[in-house]
Amino acid sequence: MTLSGYEALFFWIFGLAAIFAGLLTVMARNAVHSALFLISSLVSVAALFILARAEFIAGVQILVYVGGVMVLFLFVIMLVNVGAEERGSDEIFNNQRQVTASLIFCLLLVGGMLYSINTGYRGLQARYPATPDVVAAQESIRDQEHAPSATGSSRITNDTESVGSSLYRYASLPFEIASVLLLVAIIGSVMLARTLKQEASADDVDPDFESR
Amino acid sequence: MFSCFNILSLIQAAETTRVGMMKQAALNPDLSKFLVIGALLFIIGVAGVLTRRNIIVIFMSIELILNAANLNFIAFSRYLSAMGDVDAVAGQIFAVFVIVVAAAEAAIGLGIVIALYRNKETIWVDEIDLLKW
Repeated sequence: MTLSGYEALFFWIFGLAAIFAGLLTVMARNAVHSALFLISSLVSVAALFILARAEFIAGVQILVYVGGVMVLFLFVIMLVNVGAEERGSDEIFNNQRQVTASLIFCLLLVGGMLYSINTGYRGLQARYPATPDVVAAQESIRDQEHAPSATGSSRITNDTESVGSSLYRYASLPFEIASVLLLVAIIGSVMLARTLKQEASADDVDPDFESR
Repeated sequence: MFSCFNILSLIQAAETTRVGMMKQAALNPDLSKFLVIGALLFIIGVAGVLTRRNIIVIFMSIELILNAANLNFIAFSRYLSAMGDVDAVAGQIFAVFVIVVAAAEAAIGLGIVIALYRNKETIWVDEIDLLKW
């Protein structure tokens, strides 16, 4: 799956953009700026999904995360007061010792992860010993059966079609469970976010509740 | 645009020599480069959860962590499908479910934030210490 040419160029652009936008999400003083940097990080990761031939997931990522979840975040930021943070009068990080300890922990974690990626990838290469050229050649032979795209430079693959069909064939039970989970989340957030007055005016409460 | 062409032609010219081939292998992203980017995004998210005081930014860092996991799922799915595995699409399906869980988690979490703000008038996590003894 080695990318080359323009794909490699775009991989590095979007990968670095995702990492820097993620860093700025964590470092930004204003929560609204954090949300906007998180949006750009998510869009960059969606571009990486497209480079990895997961166009459907990239579309879902932009529609659900950027269009839904981040709008929810921005609404909540507007609802709660973040004035002190914006004026710069308040510390945005925990106290010094906690930050030092967690940064040491993160450095250990990143070292461990990079080491394990390195050794694990070498193990994978030993398990599938085909060189990138051979793999690319085999894949282009498999792609021959698909129709050419409008530009003629690549083929129209059926990745999205196979995601849909296996989602309904092999993962239909998890799919239903996910829909129940979303229903529970809707009801739960409505329950959590209502005010005392709204709670008191619910049907199951005595209408004289407030006067007492 | 011109500089892009320049870089590309340099990359292609470098292919012929041996050192150039090694450089090519380092520049052309394969599975491990995807995994490294996913790992770095994950670490940034963990650092955000551990160091920030604003509960909303902590939630955003959790989204970053889940997104890094999704990137790993997609990268492995692509790798296995390039290797000819017919079941490799399972990685993309896992990513769909991770997005579903992330959306549900964000809705519930932000509901809790609103309820908490109504009761305690704060979004700093170090001031929410009702259970701390």
